[in-house]
Amino acid sequence: MDKLLPQEIVEQVRQVFGQLQHPVAALLFASQQNCDYCAETQQLLSEVAELSPLIEMSVHDIEAEADLAAHYNVTGKAPAIILAAKDGGQITDLGIRFLGLPSGHEFGTLVQDILMISGRDSGLTAATREYLKSLEKPLHLQVFVTPT
Amino acid sequence: MILAEGVEATEFSALANQYAISGVPDTVINNDAGRALGAVPEAQLLAEVRRAVEK
Repeated sequence: MDKLLPQEIVEQVRQVFGQLQHPVAALLFASQQNCDYCAETQQLLSEVAELSPLIEMSVHDIEAEADLAAHYNVTGKAPAIILAAKDGGQITDLGIRFLGLPSGHEFGTLVQDILMISGRDSGLTAATREYLKSLEKPLHLQVFVTPT
Repeated sequence: MILAEGVEATEFSALANQYAISGVPDTVINNDAGRALGAVPEAQLLAEVRRAVEK
């Protein structure tokens, strides 16, 4: 298959990834069944992961690794990308997911998410952090987006 | 635990239909206890989260 990322974008992202500080785990959950964008998502994520030694990508089968998929709340949601912090082999789930192919406008979101996680800083204000820390029940945010 | 998902609306159209998504970005909070349409500033999203959580 041809490369998905044009050379110009590759160079830009490589340069931006020069700012990465700590390792980021990118877990892709793909499915063999009925998944229109799994192959493309895997290829896109591989091309991104190649641009920095701090991005560690792994590919999982959402059906064969059903327990792991359930652990990450992505059952039946292929392709799902989980972006997490990685420290000394330990993956820390930050609850950050992208469901679907992050193309077009969403490619920028993917890059920004990687930068944010690598810096281990959400960029949120102190007041927001304080409030979120005080939550006693789970909070679920689903941000619906399109590539355009 | 906070779960923050970006959801590609055309690929996950059943989910988008479930929440009657008509414009993006649209943030669904705790299964529609709250909504924030558009790329809203942090304070506005937080206010909507508060409303949804206190329901």
